[in-house]
Amino acid sequence: MNILGIESSCDETAAAVVSDGRIIHSSVVASQIDLHKSTGGIVPEVAARAHLQAIVPIIEQAMLDAACNWDDIDAIGATNGPGLPGALLIGFNAARGLAYSRNIPLIPVDHIEGHIRACWLNESPPPLPALALVVSGGHTELIRIEENNTFVRLGSTRDDAAGEAFDKVARLLDLPYPGGPPLSALAETAETRQLKLPRAWLRGTNDFSFSGLKTAVLNLLKEKDHPASAEIAWAFQESVCDVLAKKTRNLAEKENVKSVLVAGGVAANRRLREVLSEHISIELRIPPPNLCTDNGAMIAAAAYAHQNNTVNAESPLDIEPTAMRKKRLRKIDSRL
Amino acid sequence: MTLERQIIFKTKGVKQTRSLGRKLGKLFQKGYVILLNGDLGAGKTAFTQGIGEALKVESQVNSPTFVLMSVHEGIIPLYHADLYRLTNATDVEDLDLVAQSSEGVLVIEWPERGIEVLPKDHVFLDFKTLEIEDERSITVTVVGEKYGEMAKRLESYG
Repeated sequence: MNILGIESSCDETAAAVVSDGRIIHSSVVASQIDLHKSTGGIVPEVAARAHLQAIVPIIEQAMLDAACNWDDIDAIGATNGPGLPGALLIGFNAARGLAYSRNIPLIPVDHIEGHIRACWLNESPPPLPALALVVSGGHTELIRIEENNTFVRLGSTRDDAAGEAFDKVARLLDLPYPGGPPLSALAETAETRQLKLPRAWLRGTNDFSFSGLKTAVLNLLKEKDHPASAEIAWAFQESVCDVLAKKTRNLAEKENVKSVLVAGGVAANRRLREVLSEHISIELRIPPPNLCTDNGAMIAAAAYAHQNNTVNAESPLDIEPTAMRKKRLRKIDSRL
Repeated sequence: MTLERQIIFKTKGVKQTRSLGRKLGKLFQKGYVILLNGDLGAGKTAFTQGIGEALKVESQVNSPTFVLMSVHEGIIPLYHADLYRLTNATDVEDLDLVAQSSEGVLVIEWPERGIEVLPKDHVFLDFKTLEIEDERSITVTVVGEKYGEMAKRLESYG
């Protein structure tokens, strides 16, 4: 079964053709990151316009790279949330239009599930039940995946997402956007590695908090003779990785799962991958960096898992841009 | 003449900031626009979590930096926006926050990104970190007739 996956929830316009949720025939990503670098953040209308310009060429390129024509496509999967409303609309409506005009089934995909499904790409399915850690600019969540593919959210951030903490601390240290890669690079150069920043364990819960850590960096920078930026970057990264890895390990033990899946843009962080592999003794799946950041292949993989949940492309369909947490939890729970 | 009143609160630690949010949140009504100004780490999200408690919202109030605005269902809905990632007033205008949130309380972090296109009548909170660690001063400025009743009750807290 060949699925065309389309993703446009934030910075990336992406499309991919994937067979059976596993074999990637093509994956094309147009990043707007350069566009947003100058402003230190995303500009929604600029983002929407850039998606609009990129979406058709990106889909065409994905079809061309996969050397397939429309008759070969059995379904189209597209992200319908969460994300920026204007950005989501472009990719999802492009998918709708294609599905309608070419009479191909359309499958709406949840962006977070998409990230997790990247762990199914190129490999045999991970052993279930599994615990997934989703870490990105907008999300820090622990999700249990049952043997029947039900997703249950067990924990999430109470304030800032891990990737957001990287971005904000990077800004405090005068580093460019997105903050993750330059902050990690700076951390690598730290000469002394003695500095210790606080860790919010939130014991007795599966939740995370990174706001206090951000404030600790802020307070530190106010001091006259504060440590070098590289040392602060190193201590910050250690704190985030330590909390993410240990809380994930503890919950995986408690939940008695068979594998741990890590996904989302922050999963591309080398130090996080290292710390996780030190702590997790059961099967640990972390996709290669290019499948951790937003891409179309993960959306196709998720659509494959929901191949019976097609929707009518002719009727108006809502995107679901903002994360209405409780509702979304129910929605994820009810997905089989 | 525009009604304008100002009152200063001090908090020590994130718990007190959240609890101030809860206290003031009880005074907020449908259609209110609350602007939270202050640096990274000044306590804006913690304060909003307090408002969420006052409005008895069902969901976790966390930073909406990535999604720009989250909606939380409560006694009245809480619309929590964060303009941190935006750069100019045109982008803020495009979001059309006020129209989307007329049925609830609209809380906006980083309002300076587009203060000129946000409602002239509002409750403005300025968060400042003080020399002593963990201490914050929170200056509440109430602008507009609409908030007159609230301003009176606020003064009784001062």
